[in-house]
Amino acid sequence: MPNIKSGRRLVSLVICSILVFAANSMAAQPKGKLTTSDKKVIDFLVNDWGKDYSVTSVDIAMDAVGVKQSEETRFRIGSYIKAHPELHEVIRRWGWVTLVLTPDEKLIARVLINTEREGKPNPSVSEIAKAVGTGEGQTNSGLAMLERYEIIKRDNAAGGPSYTVVPRYLKWEPRLDFLFHTVTLERGRRFNTN
Amino acid sequence: MLLVSGKLANEKITIDDSSPEGTARIHVEFDKGKLVKADPDSTILFMGGG
Repeated sequence: MPNIKSGRRLVSLVICSILVFAANSMAAQPKGKLTTSDKKVIDFLVNDWGKDYSVTSVDIAMDAVGVKQSEETRFRIGSYIKAHPELHEVIRRWGWVTLVLTPDEKLIARVLINTEREGKPNPSVSEIAKAVGTGEGQTNSGLAMLERYEIIKRDNAAGGPSYTVVPRYLKWEPRLDFLFHTVTLERGRRFNTN
Repeated sequence: MLLVSGKLANEKITIDDSSPEGTARIHVEFDKGKLVKADPDSTILFMGGG
């Protein structure tokens, strides 16, 4: 009898584990799964990259195909690009960071990188906002995006949060990192170039 | 700049950029390959290629 009971417990445990695993998988899937309009953005980028030295970023592509700007959508598409360098040579050559961040986010990253390289104290959100020329709300959104991409780390120290740059991004070539050159033609085309 | 003076030489073009040494934004406009506006005024432009 004890063997049957423990056997039943084991079966119950296995079933519970499978259910928990399945629930976790189902919860995780939709978050990272591309929508039809996400795929349109990626198709646009894959077709655009390389033309006229294009390294067009996700935000510009979203506008081009008429997808409403949203940080969640941009992060979902950007994460896909980050995970799929096989999509295009431009990703492998210029790096996913160049393609998934907005100009504001790149400038925010540069404020933090330059500060750390120069050995200065971490800047506050208002100092970053002033340096980049963005409002504090926009700066916080930019910081949150950089944190989601694990480019920076948040430290909830006393006196408010501060941010440090993940070491690999400090070691990039100074003056060549987190750059953008956005070209807009009067006839409507907009793209980033290298 | 290769594009401005080459393939896109007959276009009106706006370029939004930033200083590589800091975080200052740079905005320049070209019309048919010629510079018509640069902000800030201290922007230094190198147009190589002949």
